[in-house]
Amino acid sequence: MNQIVVGISDLKVSGNIGDVLITYALGSCIGVAVYDPYVVVGGLLHFMLPDSSIDGNKAKKNPAMFADTGIPLLFKSCYKLGAEKKRMIVKIAGGASIMDDMDYFRIGQKNITALRKMFWRNNVLIDAEDIGKNLNRTVQLHISTGKVLVKNSANVFEEL
Amino acid sequence: MISDKILKSINNLPAFPATVHRVSEVISDPDFSVGDLVNIIKYDQSITANILRMCNSPYFGIRYKVSSLREAVVYLGRKNILNAVYTAGTSRYYKKVKGYYWGATKLWEHSVGVALMSQILAKKIYDREDPGLFTAGLLHDIGKVVLGEFVHESFQEIMDLVSNQGYSFLEAEEEVIGVNHAELGGEIASLWNFPKEIRDAITYHHRPDLIEKGDDSIPWLIYLADQACMMMGIGGGADGLAYRGLKEVINKFGLRQRDFEESIVLLLKDLDEAKELLDLMEND
Repeated sequence: MNQIVVGISDLKVSGNIGDVLITYALGSCIGVAVYDPYVVVGGLLHFMLPDSSIDGNKAKKNPAMFADTGIPLLFKSCYKLGAEKKRMIVKIAGGASIMDDMDYFRIGQKNITALRKMFWRNNVLIDAEDIGKNLNRTVQLHISTGKVLVKNSANVFEEL
Repeated sequence: MISDKILKSINNLPAFPATVHRVSEVISDPDFSVGDLVNIIKYDQSITANILRMCNSPYFGIRYKVSSLREAVVYLGRKNILNAVYTAGTSRYYKKVKGYYWGATKLWEHSVGVALMSQILAKKIYDREDPGLFTAGLLHDIGKVVLGEFVHESFQEIMDLVSNQGYSFLEAEEEVIGVNHAELGGEIASLWNFPKEIRDAITYHHRPDLIEKGDDSIPWLIYLADQACMMMGIGGGADGLAYRGLKEVINKFGLRQRDFEESIVLLLKDLDEAKELLDLMEND
């Protein structure tokens, strides 16, 4: 098993069955795992903020930082390895919030909304999700099986 | 109430390096000499080694290859030398933390993250940086170093209050253990003879709204920097984001959503440039 770490504002794709993509401590950030079982190709994105318009230069240099630039890049990177949109399984985790943040900065909720809007506009269905609440999540995507495992405060990986 | 067991653990902490406080005193004199500083620092081998490891970090912006302590002091300059000395002197406490984390280096990563973010926010809000703030950032969670053992013992009970009864992690610590990590951190800072502004920043970093009088800008900035790091999962732990958000912070600083998000983007850049600070934990 070859573990490939996806950092904050980062994405990795792979078609090697020995690879496991992993991203740690998502907080309000969101991890998007996509997988095409037919060609055995998957990708994992860890984006940080909803909207690239706050810093266009940053978005060009590091598209994985924002939902609106990171998500398209994740899909395109998988297409390059032979994946097709219609076959792709999509799972998401993260988007947690600070408690009582109703009138607060709400990064987690804004991230979730930005992602849902993008998926809706592009006809992408979410197959499974573990989002919101106040906890940190660590996410693994196993390329051999397409299994997505999420670890939360209980320190146990569970399949999503 | 702090139990005898916890008090005993506090007393077992190694004393705060006197070198750091001495440097802070000397540097507060506008006419300090480089020679004096070097003479103070060089007797603490661990701090000297750490400074040499860190000073070529892009975060400090030195463009020359530094090979001696004297060069480091000269090139770092007044503002950075203090931040570097505090970083070099405090990393030793963060090596073993139970309870909150699964990986040992995470609390250090979080602490450096909050220190960096406090500078970004201060610059954005007040157009200046502040070494006191940096120190408060590095030490804001020092209480976790001691409390972690007790959190570890009572983790299920604490998590039950957090997950099922609407407690924040801080409130659950207090309910189950009798003291929370912020209050305990303030006690440690007072034992280590830190000035009031730093002690208050540590004690009130989750509840700056409880400070009754005086200048509370440092505690509020540490609070906000801490929240940003929790949201971004910088050194994120088992306590997650289970802390209360205080919406007063928005009026306190007149900070817009955009300012906050821009600061987060800057934080990621600084963290990247400050890898040498994070690496102290691995090399020590």
